[in-house]
Amino acid sequence: MDRRYFLKQVMLWSAGLTAAIPNFRIVPELLAMEKQPPKVIHAKGKDYYALVARVLEPFGGIGKFVKTGDNVVIKPNMAWDRSPDQAANTHPLVVKALVEQSLDAGAKRIMVFDRTCNEQRRCYVNSGIQQAMESIKDKRLKYYHPDTRKFVPVNIESGKAVNRLEIYKDALDADTYINVPVAKHHSLSKLTLGLKNSMGVLGGNRGNMHHNLGQKLADLATVVRPKLTVIDATRILLRNGPQGGNIDDVKILDTVVASADPVACDAFATTLFDMKPEEISSTVAAYKMGLGEMDLARMQITRA
Amino acid sequence: MPECKSLGPEKFMKKKSTKLRHWRQLSQILCFILFLFLFIKTDYSGEDNIPYAVNILFRIDPFLAASVSLANKTLISLMWPCLIFIGLTFFLGRFFCGWICPMGALLDSIHGFIPHINQGYKTRYHSLKYYLLGFLLIAAFFGLPAAGYLDPFSILVRSLALSVYPALNVLATSFFTFTYQQMPEWVNMLTEPVYASLKSTILPFRQNHYELTFVSFFILLSIFALERLERRFFCRNACPVGAFYAIVARFTLMRGRGGSKCGKCRNCMTVCRMGAIDEERNISLLDCNLCMDCVDMCPGSKIFFGLQPKAVATPAFGLSRRTFISSLAAGAALPFFLDARTMAKRPDPYLVRPPGALPENEFLNRCVRCGECMKVCIGNGLQPTFLSAGLEGMFSPRLQSRTGYCEYNCTLCGQVCPTGALTELTLAQKHITKIGNIFFDKNRCLPYAKGIPCIVCEEHCPTPDKAIQFREAHVLNSKEEKVLVKQPYVIDERCIGCGICETKCPLPGPSAVRVTSAGETRNPQNALPTQSLPY
Repeated sequence: MDRRYFLKQVMLWSAGLTAAIPNFRIVPELLAMEKQPPKVIHAKGKDYYALVARVLEPFGGIGKFVKTGDNVVIKPNMAWDRSPDQAANTHPLVVKALVEQSLDAGAKRIMVFDRTCNEQRRCYVNSGIQQAMESIKDKRLKYYHPDTRKFVPVNIESGKAVNRLEIYKDALDADTYINVPVAKHHSLSKLTLGLKNSMGVLGGNRGNMHHNLGQKLADLATVVRPKLTVIDATRILLRNGPQGGNIDDVKILDTVVASADPVACDAFATTLFDMKPEEISSTVAAYKMGLGEMDLARMQITRA
Repeated sequence: MPECKSLGPEKFMKKKSTKLRHWRQLSQILCFILFLFLFIKTDYSGEDNIPYAVNILFRIDPFLAASVSLANKTLISLMWPCLIFIGLTFFLGRFFCGWICPMGALLDSIHGFIPHINQGYKTRYHSLKYYLLGFLLIAAFFGLPAAGYLDPFSILVRSLALSVYPALNVLATSFFTFTYQQMPEWVNMLTEPVYASLKSTILPFRQNHYELTFVSFFILLSIFALERLERRFFCRNACPVGAFYAIVARFTLMRGRGGSKCGKCRNCMTVCRMGAIDEERNISLLDCNLCMDCVDMCPGSKIFFGLQPKAVATPAFGLSRRTFISSLAAGAALPFFLDARTMAKRPDPYLVRPPGALPENEFLNRCVRCGECMKVCIGNGLQPTFLSAGLEGMFSPRLQSRTGYCEYNCTLCGQVCPTGALTELTLAQKHITKIGNIFFDKNRCLPYAKGIPCIVCEEHCPTPDKAIQFREAHVLNSKEEKVLVKQPYVIDERCIGCGICETKCPLPGPSAVRVTSAGETRNPQNALPTQSLPY
């Protein structure tokens, strides 16, 4: 019995013993233990659908993250009533590619949802993601609007700025959680990337997250742990984020970034805006909590 | 109803006549289902435009058409479908009330639960509806729009939209939340699919919350309660649409003839839901809604309906000249009190009207308080006004931004307005239609008052070049630390007053940013101070 197997068994067996409110205890030492330079893969191309497969290839394809029989959550950013070219939401083709690859990898159930900022139906429709999902004829794919009954209060044991949040049940229960943010400007957090996108699984008054946003996002990241982060930077919003609306504020990059390390993925994506990872408070806070790497020099950054 | 014309008395077999009444019931049921269907479809459907004429019920209403046209001294072209029903009434009499009207169908269906206390066939305030009609039309002409208070469709749709429908959703949600949280898994296997299918069909997409929920509900309830006094009390005594149709029906071609040489059992008189048959078995054209019950009940099959202009005497309205003139006089005089109120000089600054609303007076004149816009508002921002637009403005829509906001890319309210009180705006027009302007309360706003970073308002501001901007400032927070925060401010020229900032402001209680009607496009008197010409 090696150490990793032991820890895995402990986690699995203790999972069933948690009380009504699940507690999450991710100690930095435990995370630090298996630290290798995280892989960050980025790729450029006009065909956004094919781009996703390309960027996942160095990891060994999506099969590395999605196992047969898994319940998979794919969480895009579709928070705004904006069209794909306005770069406020994840590109529908990126989401579609991830869904279809996960289906091929044998996922039992794929759930796609977001708690939106604008009216929910308008966001799903005008982001183009609803139409992309409708085009996938597979019963294992469920895309739906969050059900208010299913936000469960979660204690965040290692939280420094927030110790309790309401989190969507499906996101907590998933075997594989794939975070698919769009990279864009945000005037408070400067950029919204992977960690910020996790706010889409929160219930309650999310406005309160904005007071000390960076630390609170890091606290949230101790609980919502994506196995894979795919950042959509096919087109990025430079100003007037997070919802934009003006095509002049959009820059076409044709880029997708992927990593199993949520912090490293955010840190690298920051450089696409000619900014440094240290400028993003959530990246710094998450790094300090041992949730991932932010030093670009200590990553295996590869272009695929 | 062509079948009623062809049948003479001698051809009436008991079986056939039963069928006639059933046709009427079928028509009522179908019309009511259509009405509910259109009501539910008054919602965002995944497209920017609503594919159905969901407001058709109001556009076939001749009373509203007359009232709104008089109020605006112009013919409202949106209301042309009412001409069809005026035309049909010339041939068929008040068939609308018996065969089509959803309020009538509802009253007929609850009749069994609320039996009248004494002889229901006597109409007490028969003439009241004519006085009301006269009063409402004259008042509308002189500038007191009150048609929506008594119009049966306004009452019905409003109370469904503001109270019954959201309450139904509360009921369903609490039931299925209970089963979801408390019941074992196998129960959920049954209940969850039921809930999902209800949600996708009859339940609203989201839980809306409204002002005046109880008031709207009680108005409907009181119409039900009046059934205790007489069957169809509202239709007989108060309904202005019925009164309008009664006047047209006076000249109708199709008339019912009672048994003048019958056995005087007076079954017809007691069974008549409208109290249209008198002791002498004359059927009044003004009241008969062609329900065909009497045809069924007559043991001698003496009653029949047909084209017989001369055979039946034209009844009188039975109005007192003095009362009628008084009601007209009241209608002409009351409007002049309106402008004597302070609100004529100083309107409520928080009374923000929906985008596309006409200037206030014209808007109130056209608005029939039907509640369609509040039903369709996907942000749940449109709320019925209570008293801030005056007594006559009750139930007119206003944007209450703390409850919900006006969605930037949505133009549904203008699409469903049956009278054009809200103009139908294109998306491009909507984006530059200013319904108000925001003001920050620096005593509450976190970056100003407490040195806490926030700017949720700026994040949500939907204009492509954000109307809410911020300045970075070093301030002392409550721990006496010097912190750098972003303090929001508004650029008036960009703000359209959608109110999303007020809705999303994370402060408990009142928002630190509030929308007022200042600067609204429709009223130049309400302009904001500027140093130069905007744009």
